[in-house]
Amino acid sequence: MNNITDSLRMAHPEVILSAVTILLTAIGAFAGRKASLVVSALAVISLIGVAVIAAIGVPVGIAFGGSFISDAAASYAKVGIYLMSAVAVILGYGWLGRLSARQFEYPLLILLAATGMGIMVSAGDLISLYIGIELQSLALYVLAAFRRDDPKASEAGLKYFVLGALSSGLLLYGASLIYGFAGSTHFDVIAAAVKAGTGTGVLFGLVFLICGLAFKVSAAPFHMWTPDVYEGAPTPVVAFFTAAPKLAAMVLILRVLYTGFPDNIEQWRQIILLIAIVSVGVGAFAGLVQSNIKRLLAYSSIANMGYVLIGLSAGNHEGAQAVLIFMSLYMIDATGFFAALTALSRGGKPMETIADMAGLSRTNPAMAITITLLAFSAMGIPPLPGFWGKFYVFKAAIDAGQWPIAVAGLVGSVVAAFYYLRLVKVMWLDDSPGAVDKGPLDARIVAFASALFAFPLVMIGLTWIEHYSGYAADAFGLL
Amino acid sequence: MIQALAFYVMAAVTVLAALAVVGARNPVHSVLFLITAFFSAAGLFVLLGAEFLAMLLVVVYVGAVAVLFLFVVMMLDIDFAKLKAGFAQYLPIGGLVGGILATEMILVALAVGREGAAAKNALPDANAGGASNIEAIGQVLYTDYSYFFEAAGLILLVAMIGAIVLTLRHKPHVKRQDIGAQVARTPKKGMEVVQIKPGSGVEL
Amino acid sequence: MTIGLAHYLTVAAILFTIGVFGIFVNRKNIIVILMSIELILLAVNINLVAFSAYLHDITGQIFAMFVLTVAAAEAAVGLAILVTFFRNRGDIEVDDASVMKG
Repeated sequence: MNNITDSLRMAHPEVILSAVTILLTAIGAFAGRKASLVVSALAVISLIGVAVIAAIGVPVGIAFGGSFISDAAASYAKVGIYLMSAVAVILGYGWLGRLSARQFEYPLLILLAATGMGIMVSAGDLISLYIGIELQSLALYVLAAFRRDDPKASEAGLKYFVLGALSSGLLLYGASLIYGFAGSTHFDVIAAAVKAGTGTGVLFGLVFLICGLAFKVSAAPFHMWTPDVYEGAPTPVVAFFTAAPKLAAMVLILRVLYTGFPDNIEQWRQIILLIAIVSVGVGAFAGLVQSNIKRLLAYSSIANMGYVLIGLSAGNHEGAQAVLIFMSLYMIDATGFFAALTALSRGGKPMETIADMAGLSRTNPAMAITITLLAFSAMGIPPLPGFWGKFYVFKAAIDAGQWPIAVAGLVGSVVAAFYYLRLVKVMWLDDSPGAVDKGPLDARIVAFASALFAFPLVMIGLTWIEHYSGYAADAFGLL
Repeated sequence: MIQALAFYVMAAVTVLAALAVVGARNPVHSVLFLITAFFSAAGLFVLLGAEFLAMLLVVVYVGAVAVLFLFVVMMLDIDFAKLKAGFAQYLPIGGLVGGILATEMILVALAVGREGAAAKNALPDANAGGASNIEAIGQVLYTDYSYFFEAAGLILLVAMIGAIVLTLRHKPHVKRQDIGAQVARTPKKGMEVVQIKPGSGVEL
Repeated sequence: MTIGLAHYLTVAAILFTIGVFGIFVNRKNIIVILMSIELILLAVNINLVAFSAYLHDITGQIFAMFVLTVAAAEAAVGLAILVTFFRNRGDIEVDDASVMKG
């Protein structure tokens, strides 16, 4: 099984993506800005292609001496990650075109970030975990600061970079302690060493590791960067930030905790629950006072990561499945929200505050209905996707005996409902200050598609997602 | 004995230089102390029998990273006195927290060292023969770890693309050599035959 | 007086703390923050190499090598972002003159 050909076959999506990236880099370097359309189109095609390959064409197994795991969970996550990255390339192409700053580097950075996320969800040891995270993060830092003439964007990039690098340092320090304790970087060997050993020292390493990973999913109290980065970074880039990287990091947390430390569940459950409760609280209450929609959505994403972690703390098959379902539905909802924000402008100026949205139901009814649907979904009104996500997550937590935490999560989600309601109220009941621009086609299509998924497509989609996430959760080898 | 002495000297220099990095008034001094810290840490690596990494640390850090830092510090025209303003204010509380944190971190590290798989072993004997450090790394880096090696290449590609996309500016007034245009130049393009009427000058 | 694993881990723990400390006391000076991050990564490398030596396992050194590679890439990207920030703002102070409020 350790044969290099077999290994490469299992890593086909990532191998193809990196080869395409290098080819497109060469094309871009020689042709310059003219190549922007070609590079973007090829990037979208190859991302969709590798999503298909990840779904149907990858053998299950362990590659590269245990560093790369190809299983149903990795494939499930990769399909989501690559499709969301393709959406990000499309949104970004339109956005850069409107700025008349079409740059071929944008799709390249998305491709590299996608490759990093593929490595993350397939990580079988601490080195591939670190390399995947860094490949992803470095590309995201650059994307956050991509509009280099915009002071807000470069400040967002700088904050994201400094806190991200600090979190990588924490994560690495934890990884080094775990390596020193277990004598190996492989998750399965670590699990065996933890089982055999009596020491508690390794738990310190685990705490550092969890802190580093919590930074990457922007769970409180490691969320400080999120509102600033969401506000400062370009909206299409934020649409990307809020979806694929969070799924990748969540699957990585599942992988580390469920396969690396299955016997320490009582210890890490407490840490995860603490982070989850703080996230739900911060996300719900700090969101109430925001006037900028991008900041509001940042706090909403912090709260959502809290719900996911509540499900994750179950530590069983049901918990893993709930995490995957929640993340899949959340990704579609959040991307739609940011696509709608990308599409909305008044007199060429982006509409980013809640006050800007006043009277949208009369000036742009289609977009108002879209945002309303997405907001109701995020509030958790049945039968919209947000409800199902929360349903599975809280059910997993209650079945695992964590009902006080689930109740706390529910309270948080009721509080968070207020800020979505405020947005909806402003859109439908307040008077409009003026006409709204028509908005770019690409962003409108993504927003409408996402709203269409919220209702009624979710009915069909959910049966699929539940089916495949069940398979994916089997891969963690739990009860 | 000589090993213990070497350890204490280098460990002390590393820690003091690191303190100076965060405490120095002038970032240029910080960079120089950073170089010192890395240099003496490389000495610690040699004591541990990791000669190749020691060399790499010096080459990569002193040769590339520190020079990059120096370059940026000198390129940006920054009022350093202003940046240090908050330092004294944070120092007492920071020092207290730092001291407690350091004690805890040491206890944690010692716990891991005592309980872990590494606790039973001694350092391998350097004179025992067998593959040297660089040989041992070379044997696995391009075989067992080829996957990481390739992925690390992609990370460097991201760094390259990122640095270029963020900082490169095409200034219109900068003259660049265009070899293609030079080679394609023909006498027809380079010369002009002008009929001059007597008594009037030539207009170029 | 023999030097053991614990000695190296102690040095690494102290360096790690200095790095974290440096980030908190130099909140305004991004360049020193970037250097503090390098110190944290150096602490990690000392940990990894020490464990690697005492475990008689080369993996730790390979890990440290990749940490070095990534640290170099990180420094390049971080300084590039810092340069764009400086070009937009004329200084590198983040704390006070923040465009955004948290």
